[in-house]
Amino acid sequence: MKVWVIAEQKEGELRRVSRELAAKGATLGDLTVLRVTGEHVSAVAAATALAERATAESPDLILAGATPGGRDVAARLAAKLKRAYLSECTDLTVDGSSIEASRGMYAGKVRARVRAALPAVCSVRPNAFPLPDESSEPALADVAAGDAQGLAFVRFEPTASSGGRVPLSEARVIVSGGRGLKGPEGWPQVEALADVLGAALGASRAVTDAGWRPNEEQVGQTGKTVAPDLYIALGISGAIQHLAGMTSSKVIVAVNKDPDADIFKVADYGIVGDVFEFLPAFTDAVKRVKAAS
Amino acid sequence: MRLLICIKQVPDSTTRVKVATDGRSIVTDGVTWSISPYDEYAIELALEHKDSAPDAVVSVVTVGGARAKDALRQALAMGCDDATLVTGDGADALGPLGIANALRAVVEELKPDLVLCGRQASDDDEGFVGPALAEALGWPHVSQVTRLEPDSGQLWKEVEGGHEVWKVSGGAVLTVQKSAKDPRYPSLPGIMKAKKKEIPERSVAGVEDPVKLEIVKLEPPPARGGGKIFKDGDTKAHAAELATLLRDEAKVL
Repeated sequence: MKVWVIAEQKEGELRRVSRELAAKGATLGDLTVLRVTGEHVSAVAAATALAERATAESPDLILAGATPGGRDVAARLAAKLKRAYLSECTDLTVDGSSIEASRGMYAGKVRARVRAALPAVCSVRPNAFPLPDESSEPALADVAAGDAQGLAFVRFEPTASSGGRVPLSEARVIVSGGRGLKGPEGWPQVEALADVLGAALGASRAVTDAGWRPNEEQVGQTGKTVAPDLYIALGISGAIQHLAGMTSSKVIVAVNKDPDADIFKVADYGIVGDVFEFLPAFTDAVKRVKAAS
Repeated sequence: MRLLICIKQVPDSTTRVKVATDGRSIVTDGVTWSISPYDEYAIELALEHKDSAPDAVVSVVTVGGARAKDALRQALAMGCDDATLVTGDGADALGPLGIANALRAVVEELKPDLVLCGRQASDDDEGFVGPALAEALGWPHVSQVTRLEPDSGQLWKEVEGGHEVWKVSGGAVLTVQKSAKDPRYPSLPGIMKAKKKEIPERSVAGVEDPVKLEIVKLEPPPARGGGKIFKDGDTKAHAAELATLLRDEAKVL
């Protein structure tokens, strides 16, 4: 079986999810890892180039990371090739002429097992497959971007607060804040904890709607669905839309003043108490524990 | 300037979704249906443009059974000018490429300058129809759009760490991400006007639908709970204990 992985780079390095998929792809069959080259490549320009090559080489399965960019190219490519597209998969098995995959539906409220005939295109969530310790960098086959169909890149406008952190979708640890933090002035303490943990920052919808944090940090329905090893919910009450977006996390920690908050129903560890008392004490404790191990 | 928004009717985001006894569908009894949240943001972007350019026409379309008409009425009540329902036997069973093909016919008839969709519907969570419609039309698409200047063709695409500004110079499909401005509520006069509007129907008969995704099984996420909850006592002491537990018991530090 021919397997393709569409690789993505970030700051000159292959993204972790691309390496995860390359490792998985190598176990499924004859693997090619492709990189689309060019500056500010739009999804349509990438998909056009990839579709041309796919028509010549007929890969049975095309995998891309379920990052914003990966999803975008994968969907357009599947449409070009008139193939099934399995979006945001968390697991997949290939059986001769078909693929079965697990994926979330209804914003994470339902888990689905879906099946499609091969050939197919699949976007896969970061952290779905382990990255072997000894995995070497896969060899990349370069594909030059195709026609952008009149789309022109103008400029990049960075978000002020996002410097230097892991993207939310790929993070192994997420520290997420809610209304209980009372305002944007609560965040330096959240960031101090995230720094110690090497974590990404998340937020509840109430927080992004109030403009305390940028939209891209929102976890839950109309935000991101995440499944890190550790999710720390600070001052988040746990609306159904938020819970749907983080309930697949391996370990959930919740801190909230309200003992009846729904977040405690999904928490592995919970502390009923004041988040501002908790934060400095916990940040110090994590520092100590990490230094000792 | 005409903007066409493709919307989908889905269970409201507050719904507790239950898997039906067949294990392959959801219980629809008692479900409140609404416009998929990202589609509402798409409507809001279009209506904001109309607020500043009253000559602009904002059209909506959906593919689905008779019930989907309620979603169109809701969009009209928000301020959209006209609505089209693509319906008939099998409308609810069309796959994403079939829906894209059905929508293409409407685009070719209404000739909008731009087409907007939500970035994904909140039931299937696929994000396939928007790019597939662009492909069917031979148009480019831009995903995760949070802001739009239709007259200059400039649009803002959310990416990790900020926004990219792109310029389109012809027809394009934009898939809309949640943006800073919440979708407006229907006004009372809007609701009255929407009730009286004719909603023309097109048939899905003969629409090409080349690819099917089969649902093998649906299930609720694994139950959680029974966690260690520290209810009383010294928050600082619990915080220190928690750090040790996360290292030694949960093994995540």
